[in-house]
Amino acid sequence: MKIESLSIKSLTIYVFIMIGIIAIVLSLLAGGYFKRAALDAQINSLSRVIEVSSHEMLKQLRVFTFDLGMKLTHSEELIYEVKMAISTGEQENLIGLLDDPFINGFVGFSDIDLKKIRIYDLQLTLLAESTSHRDNINKKLPLYIINDMKQRGASERLRAYDALWMSEEGPLFSTLVPLGGLRPVGYLEIVINPLLNLPDIGKITKTPVRIYSLDGKQINTNNEEITDGHLPVEFVLHASNGEPAFRIVGYENIDELNREMENTLVLTISGFLILSLATLAFALWMFSRFMFTPVRKMIKDMEKITHGKLELTVSSKGLREFNILADAFNLMTSQVKMRTNDLQRLLDLDDSGLMCFDRDNDVVYFNEGATRLFGYAADEVIDLDIADLFNDDIASLMSKHKSADEKQDNLNVTLNCKHKNGEQFQREAVINAVNVMGRIGYAVALNMTQKDEQTSTAQSDQRLKAVEQTLSNLLAVANDNSGVLSSSSVPELSKLGGPLQAKDKSSIREQVVKLMNIALTCWERDLGKTKLELAEESSLWPVYIDKSTPTTRTLDKYLNIDLCPKNPRSQRAIDTAEFVLHKAGKNDAVKSNELKEVLNAFRELISGIKISK
Amino acid sequence: MANSVLAESNPRAPESIQNVTIVSAEQLIEQLLKNPNLIIIDSRKKSEYLKGHIEGAINILNTRLKRPDLERISPDKSKAILFYCNGARCLRSSDSINKAKSWGYENLIWFRGGWKEWEEKRLPVITQ
Repeated sequence: MKIESLSIKSLTIYVFIMIGIIAIVLSLLAGGYFKRAALDAQINSLSRVIEVSSHEMLKQLRVFTFDLGMKLTHSEELIYEVKMAISTGEQENLIGLLDDPFINGFVGFSDIDLKKIRIYDLQLTLLAESTSHRDNINKKLPLYIINDMKQRGASERLRAYDALWMSEEGPLFSTLVPLGGLRPVGYLEIVINPLLNLPDIGKITKTPVRIYSLDGKQINTNNEEITDGHLPVEFVLHASNGEPAFRIVGYENIDELNREMENTLVLTISGFLILSLATLAFALWMFSRFMFTPVRKMIKDMEKITHGKLELTVSSKGLREFNILADAFNLMTSQVKMRTNDLQRLLDLDDSGLMCFDRDNDVVYFNEGATRLFGYAADEVIDLDIADLFNDDIASLMSKHKSADEKQDNLNVTLNCKHKNGEQFQREAVINAVNVMGRIGYAVALNMTQKDEQTSTAQSDQRLKAVEQTLSNLLAVANDNSGVLSSSSVPELSKLGGPLQAKDKSSIREQVVKLMNIALTCWERDLGKTKLELAEESSLWPVYIDKSTPTTRTLDKYLNIDLCPKNPRSQRAIDTAEFVLHKAGKNDAVKSNELKEVLNAFRELISGIKISK
Repeated sequence: MANSVLAESNPRAPESIQNVTIVSAEQLIEQLLKNPNLIIIDSRKKSEYLKGHIEGAINILNTRLKRPDLERISPDKSKAILFYCNGARCLRSSDSINKAKSWGYENLIWFRGGWKEWEEKRLPVITQ
């Protein structure tokens, strides 16, 4: 894309759209991140809850095992058998007592999975253990428990010791209590499998809970149903020595959380987007108010000035930069105007007939000398072309000259001229090909005097070349400011030269010819008068005398599409139609109505209100 | 906030009682091991006592503690007697001690942490 084709407004809108898109993308990303962060926070939170619940569950286990231990340790029979076992080595009665809870049960039997009851001496050497359970549990306490117990002071040894430890069968929970109360004779160990109690974590967390062994096998559950809306949160329960014991997976129902987050997300994103878009809209309004509108107005004014309305000025009300630009442009315009006026005055004052034709041979410029020489009024010049003024074909003369002498631009020639009254005369001329509105045209400088009256042909040629050069300069200015030439020489050029497109011009020409033909038909039928009478009575069209015969050469051109000027004088056609309608009255209603319709259509066309197809 | 206000309004046992030795659970055990004849008086309600108490403790509610009863348990007023109740928020043992003190008992020991401390430290208990 070329940078010239990009407007400030488009660029600003593109930038704002980009900012808007970035804002939307960022808000969505932030929303996603927010959701992820909320879920992570929820996971961390639930993980902490599971951890706390696990410890709470172990605390409950400690209560169970401690109560059972306390019930047994004050049994005089048990203390006696322990003392006997220590002194005699006899274990049978002691083992029987240890097996008793497994056989007869105890309060809270269903609350724990009792695996073993074991008796140790004060040095923590195993004296006896229950046999009712067939589990293959290590005969020895883990070394770290023995070390912990031995490191305790005298009074501390009376305190119960709890440990979650790893046996060959899996994690077990033990509570060691002194046997014999405040004057212990040994230690009693209650060994339970905590797996039975682990699902109770779910009662605290109020979530489904699954217990897995370290090899990933599910070993217990609280049987609460898990749905797709549940998010698994894992917590590893460690043994007392720090070794991983169980993987506890709690399932958080995130449906509700998701719903709340969705609502928050929608609210947050909507709020952010509304705020962003409102800010962008406000910024756009500010840009429009302080930049686009002044620039648009400035461009409009500049275009009008460019098309010849040099009397206009660009409004300098606006931001500082626009103010400076407008002032600079206005200064430049006034300088162009001064320069153009100077050049035109110079050309008008020159004692030469100067004229310029465009590629279609229509008159573009005609100085005062030329109007005097050919006898036309200034407003008649617009309807003229080369054939009306000269008997010579200037285009073919230039073409021959070019092919004969490529180095010489100017063609010095004697032209056969035609006066308005039909008289023919000859004048020395200098013809040059010039750029007229971006296209090739011809500038012609004519000597005002006869050849035989000249004192010096060389001097005359030199002067004509200088004048022709000045005209070229003026055309160069007009080339960039298409309305410049029109102010004095060709009044209607500015109206049709600039803004109208070729298609519009063609359409106007067709409509002009149509309007004029209907007007003439109406004139001839209704009033029974001739074309010559229309030209004379309306005073809108010049009457020429060709060999003593009056002709309406200009009017004839407006009746034929092939002869009609490229830039026809539309106002003259409208005036003619109105004159005919005024004169015809209502005698020929059908033709008058048609003329009115065509006239209205033509007015709409040139005013731009409605474009004909 | 509400809890702290509640705590402030709840009664607390005095930090100390003049001429009375305050002991912790560990010191109590050491005293017991040194002096197996140490008299321990549980000043709580009977129902609380039955749920669990220190080995060898005698249950006499503070309000029911009478001079003749105490003199029957310990005629020698110089003999060490240890009192405990539910803990620092319980006023029963301090009340019993004040009574004993007024009756002329000289060697009074106060386990101010009481049953709460004993239970928390998971020391041996006697349950019915």
